[in-house]
Amino acid sequence: MTPTPGEPPVRLVTQGLTVRFGGLEALGGVDVTVAAGETVGVIGPNGSGKTTLFNAISGLYQPAAGEIRLEGRPLAGLEPHLIARLGVARTFQASRLCLGLSVFDNVLIGMHARRRTGLVDAVLRRHRLRGEVRACLAEAARLLALFSSGLVDRGFDRVAQLPQIDRRRVEICRALALQPRLLLLDEPSAGMNPEETAELMKDLQVVREAAPDLSLVIIEHDMFVIEGVSQRVVAFNYGRKIAEGTFREVSAHPGVREAYLGKEGGRG
Amino acid sequence: MSPVLLAEAVLFTLVVAALLAERPASLAATGLAGAATAAALGFLPGLRAALTRAFAAHRVPALIGGAVGALLLPFFLRGSPYWTFVATMALMYVTIGQGLNLQIGTAGVVNLAGAAFAGLGGYTVGLLTTAAGWPSWLALLVGPWAALALGALLFVPILKTRGHYLALVTIAFVFIFNTLMNNLEFTGGPQGIKNIPTLRILGHAFTTPPAIFGVRLPAHANFYFLALLMAGLATWIARRLHDSWLGLALNTLRDDEIAARCCGISVTRGKLVAFSVGNFLIGLGGSFYAVMVGFVSPPDFDFGYSLVMLSVIIIGGVDSVAGVVLGACLLVPLPERFRFLHEYRLLLYGVVIVLTLLYRPQGLWPVAVRRYR
Amino acid sequence: MPPIELLLQQAMNGLMLGVMYALVAVGFTLFFGVLDVIHFSHGDIFMLGAFAGLTALAGLGAIGIGAPAVALALAFAGSILVVGLLGVVAERVCVKPLARSSPLMTLLATLSLGLVIREAVLIFYPRGADPKPFPQLLPAGGFEAGGVAIRYENLAILAIAIVAMVSVDLLINRTRMGAAIRAVAQDPEAAQMMGVNLNGTVDLTFFIGSGLAAIAGILSGLYYSEIHFIMGVSGGVIGFSAAAIGGLGNVYGAILGGLLFGMVQTLSAALIPRGSEFRDVVAFAVVMLFLVVRPSGILGEKSAERV
Repeated sequence: MTPTPGEPPVRLVTQGLTVRFGGLEALGGVDVTVAAGETVGVIGPNGSGKTTLFNAISGLYQPAAGEIRLEGRPLAGLEPHLIARLGVARTFQASRLCLGLSVFDNVLIGMHARRRTGLVDAVLRRHRLRGEVRACLAEAARLLALFSSGLVDRGFDRVAQLPQIDRRRVEICRALALQPRLLLLDEPSAGMNPEETAELMKDLQVVREAAPDLSLVIIEHDMFVIEGVSQRVVAFNYGRKIAEGTFREVSAHPGVREAYLGKEGGRG
Repeated sequence: MSPVLLAEAVLFTLVVAALLAERPASLAATGLAGAATAAALGFLPGLRAALTRAFAAHRVPALIGGAVGALLLPFFLRGSPYWTFVATMALMYVTIGQGLNLQIGTAGVVNLAGAAFAGLGGYTVGLLTTAAGWPSWLALLVGPWAALALGALLFVPILKTRGHYLALVTIAFVFIFNTLMNNLEFTGGPQGIKNIPTLRILGHAFTTPPAIFGVRLPAHANFYFLALLMAGLATWIARRLHDSWLGLALNTLRDDEIAARCCGISVTRGKLVAFSVGNFLIGLGGSFYAVMVGFVSPPDFDFGYSLVMLSVIIIGGVDSVAGVVLGACLLVPLPERFRFLHEYRLLLYGVVIVLTLLYRPQGLWPVAVRRYR
Repeated sequence: MPPIELLLQQAMNGLMLGVMYALVAVGFTLFFGVLDVIHFSHGDIFMLGAFAGLTALAGLGAIGIGAPAVALALAFAGSILVVGLLGVVAERVCVKPLARSSPLMTLLATLSLGLVIREAVLIFYPRGADPKPFPQLLPAGGFEAGGVAIRYENLAILAIAIVAMVSVDLLINRTRMGAAIRAVAQDPEAAQMMGVNLNGTVDLTFFIGSGLAAIAGILSGLYYSEIHFIMGVSGGVIGFSAAAIGGLGNVYGAILGGLLFGMVQTLSAALIPRGSEFRDVVAFAVVMLFLVVRPSGILGEKSAERV
């Protein structure tokens, strides 16, 4: 798919992506395109394959068929840590942070892949390690400050002491620390009340402003968030893409209504 | 600075008195002083906080003070070769503990075969010296490498299994090791390997009591100083690795392997590095044991000792480098001090682990947040 | 290649060992089913069963009940009861409190509990360090079939073990209590919402598992004619290995695993030079290989991690 002049370049392409677990087809022939700097929302009922899509892109699942390409580079079959180093970052439905480690440590781990010092430096050339870590700590502070200076002040607190909204922010900072080309957010508003969700939407806006070229793909159940941040929405059901377009187009799509509300439901 | 040095001096005096007091009067006095100190620290949070601040602000003097204390200990214990020996054993367990802690505490790699890796070091020393005629100092340097190399036998299980399955594989490994040592001829069978020659460095034999600054110390002091060097190095390396990219990566893959992978961490490399470095240190402890005691036999390295090593790191605090030092210094001398406890030693260790896990799972000296100073 | 009679003889021995291992393995698998934990001190519970049986027999002998069938039956009953209860105590004190925190903690705690049990027997049982002779209470003699010597003793052991396993199978699959256990094993929360008493069911599971281990302990004493305070270490490791091979959480898998382990042990003793010394090595090497290649076991483990 060659971009026409004036259109942003393509960042991620999946073609015919299929993931199977034994006899169950969790994703069937999925074609998705994400442009640079675009925010795409992904919706669908539980079990429709949304997280499976993310897991396939980040390399946790091996596709049975189909292709995944990041800026032309094939990802299918690569190990997850290599895909992360190529520029795919993500957050998880149940936030996977190290609760016993500090906020800074949790963000720092995102910069691990870019380190230049090694084991020998750690033991024998400590000043080199210290210099590199100090620079990374400053970068971590900068990322955290995007959301709240309070987070920076709590940088050496253990993540377990933070409320849910702050933990989400730390997780996003960790993902941003990878300097990704593509950021996958899996249900970031899970477990949040309306106030926290409103905060989250502001946070997503902050991310967008801080990294205009970053492509964002967000799985959400909260339609408010999807409508507020997405330029384009993709709807899934039973492992297949059933609709694509703006939020209004997709929410009016009969297949989407049926997926959420059932055959008898949904009028006007 | 003076509160730090004062606190260390008080601690040092208490330790020496606790080890050596014999007569009822001095025992009572030491007991009271010890109880008073523990109570003060336990019930006066102001005191604890002030001390913590002082130590944090004056880390280098504190470390130097500690080192001086450790160097002076044998002089105070010179009347008792037995206690010098016990102190040396404690330092040996510090070395082994740092290795095991890196594996289990930092990286979350469950290794219950610690006794086997110590045994690999010990038997390598035994074989190289008695069968191949190598000098002990050389065998001591090679022993840990044997433990590291043979640890490769477990690389595949380390990577492919986790948690209780990995525990089972490592238990099976230690059983296999024990059976092989017991039944193969070249390892001496149930008798083991005897008459391992003592260390001879620059002509000084370690069985000769040394004289330092005109003071005659028991022969064991030779091994004490070597063990101090060994434990110091092990702790230093463990500390630096912990507070580095490696330690951070290991903690992350321990807590959440999937998140670690998606952050660009090679879980394979992390686990294998932690496992290998850990085995090196454990093997070093075992090699040292062989040279110090002069013989190795299968019962010296059976599964029970894996549990002793485990208790050291649990009571100190998993993933805590300082905790390993505290754990070893508490658990090794204690049953020796209370003679009547000696028979109950293993029972004590088991109860201690269970109680610690139930009521203070973070250990006595919990791992602190990294500050990268 | 040894003669076929020798192999059959060893297979028979393998069967004997296998059923005893199976009884211990079933305990491991039941505990994993209801609490998602590996109860590492279960092997030492097996040892306690043997010692409780021995003590009961000694006591019965002292008060004049010497008739083998009666004494044995009472010893079994007594041991099952006492050790079953001890198993529940162990679970309440050490296993359940930690079951919700990291699996590493439970693993370390139960390992240490096993150490405590072992040392307690060593220290407090009169001359605990020595192996203790176990009375010969099963009918002596035997017959020959196809060149293989079959002893009535072994048949009795086999029979008792089979009765125990069938009873547990009936209990789990045909009773309400068993249904409760199966429900908790599948989904503790859903089970609770259906009115199942979670704590009571877990207690019951530990009672049953420990009781089975007690039976195995006495059978082991009858088979070897002696018991030793360290028998629980290898017993536990073998029981766990057998349960893992069969697939943790699967009772039939545990039985299968136990039989397999017994067979591998005895056949390798027959087929490998100096095999009897190295039979443990072979068996454990097989276990290690198995866990690496097919960790979910022959009949499959319950559930996996959700991403």
